[in-house]
Amino acid sequence: MSVAALRHPLASSWRRIPGAWRQPVAIVGLVIAAFWVVIAALAPLVAPHDPLAQGAALYQAPSAAHLMGTDELGRDVFSRVLWGARISIPLAMLLVALAFTIGGTLGGLAGYLGGWVDELVMRSADFVFAVPTILLAMAVVAALGPGLFHAVLAVVLVSWPGHARVVRGLVRTTMQSEYVAVGRLLGSPTHRALVVDVLPNVAGPVIVLAALEIGNAILLLSALSFLGLGARPPTAEWGSMVSTGAEHFEAWWIGVFPGIAIVSVVLAFNLLGDSLRDAFDPKAIIKARGA
Amino acid sequence: MAFVLTHLVPGDPAVANLGDRASSDPVAVRLYREHFGLDKPLPVQYVVYLGNLLHGDLGESEQSRRAVSTDLAEYIPATAELAITSMVLASLLGLTLGVIAALNRNKATDQIIRVVSLAGMSTPQFWLALVALYVFFYKLSWAPGSGRLDAVVLPPPHLTGLFTIDSLAAGQYDVFVNSLQHLILPACVLAAFNMGLFTRFTRSAVLEVLENDYVRTARAKGLPELTVVFRHILRAASPPILTVVGLAFGNVMTGTVLVENIFSWPGIGQYSYRSATALDLPAIVGVMLFVAIVYILINMFVDILYGVLDPRIRVA
Repeated sequence: MSVAALRHPLASSWRRIPGAWRQPVAIVGLVIAAFWVVIAALAPLVAPHDPLAQGAALYQAPSAAHLMGTDELGRDVFSRVLWGARISIPLAMLLVALAFTIGGTLGGLAGYLGGWVDELVMRSADFVFAVPTILLAMAVVAALGPGLFHAVLAVVLVSWPGHARVVRGLVRTTMQSEYVAVGRLLGSPTHRALVVDVLPNVAGPVIVLAALEIGNAILLLSALSFLGLGARPPTAEWGSMVSTGAEHFEAWWIGVFPGIAIVSVVLAFNLLGDSLRDAFDPKAIIKARGA
Repeated sequence: MAFVLTHLVPGDPAVANLGDRASSDPVAVRLYREHFGLDKPLPVQYVVYLGNLLHGDLGESEQSRRAVSTDLAEYIPATAELAITSMVLASLLGLTLGVIAALNRNKATDQIIRVVSLAGMSTPQFWLALVALYVFFYKLSWAPGSGRLDAVVLPPPHLTGLFTIDSLAAGQYDVFVNSLQHLILPACVLAAFNMGLFTRFTRSAVLEVLENDYVRTARAKGLPELTVVFRHILRAASPPILTVVGLAFGNVMTGTVLVENIFSWPGIGQYSYRSATALDLPAIVGVMLFVAIVYILINMFVDILYGVLDPRIRVA
């Protein structure tokens, strides 16, 4: 029996990804997410107006000239919603990347080294879990001063433990598996096992987590902006646009459309992550093989 | 832990609470620091804090100038009423939808429920709250606006602090109806996220149980479907669902911060927002402690429930 044959069942889960695309829900998620990423990249080209220009009449209801109406300063809401994608999506991706780098490194070390390192990392993670995310994030932003960058830092601070837990668990189960032991018997050093055997197995679940976390990051970031702790007023950021809408109740279009943008982006990433999770779930794989 | 963390942050509470003019006056800043013991070194502050904590003293809020415990006692019932109502709503809906989805696995119903539950988890609560207010209060006038009661209605005599229960206990049915009207909209908004979460977890927990032989046996015996669902499936699937319900408490607290701010609901959520933005350290630490204690209690309660539901766990 070759070493490859003993690999963790997750390693073969890459082959399951095409299965995920057979689900209509996954395709819808992918299409919407891709749409918003393109919008974020091309906003200056597709947006009909400057998101900060105050030329038009105030409080115009949606019309052909202004698809989503104009806001309290006569800015085009449609253009602002499109530009908003340029803030929320890249920041959420950056934030998840940061949280994963920090959480993944700490969790990987904790799982690999064990002992007091493990204790220290996991107890810190438990602490962050026990405090409601928004409370901690609010306290951090309030201390550092409001601003988009500080809000990102705050969300990273509350979201690294999720990554740390997942990576730690994966590293530990992989380290105990037969193929790592076989590798060690064949004389390859343990750190080589980490790169060759552990990393490929960790990748799948991490991708799922990242997709789900991007949605959560966008939600939390916009919530902080809504509370006035993230993006500051002139910036076309979805959360702060909803907050402006809250002050101008009769002009519903100011707040409703940025909210729909948030729902659609977050839902798309959640649909994507959820379908991928089904595909990566080792139990689902075993069931699929058995059937 | 909470104490260290809130003191590590670099903001200066004296500056945050005194306002710009007063904080440029060094005498005012010094007096302020002495009053709250902020002039002493951190370890000393910590020992003093722990000593006071043992006597149930959480310190004095730097904003409201009252004991944090007094503040908490005032705001906790409002949040408790809101959070419990929303959790009950979310559990009922989530369980029902989750079971239906699992029984119709991969059919159209399952896919629709998947999208509905994920939509619940993808909708920003602050936006949902505003849309709900716009539609049901501003446009349709079905629901009252903000607060726990209409301005003209007096709160019922204090018993539990939960207006719905207190008013019933006092026999004031008009107050009960009024408080319920005020409660229902924020509670529904708050329930949306957890409804989605519970649906997802119930679905996967039920799917796992469905594969067991005893479920097939129960069906083969010709038991009515409802009996199979409640007696055989739900009972076996409940431990993982309970775990999630226990952990979801954190989501509720996050939701209350946003929902309470929008509905002017005088609870812990609003209080913590005010405290956090004013860097009111004793208040922030007080809220964190309170939340941590509730979190631990709820999860202990969940552990006990496991034993009730599954006698095998009881001995261990």
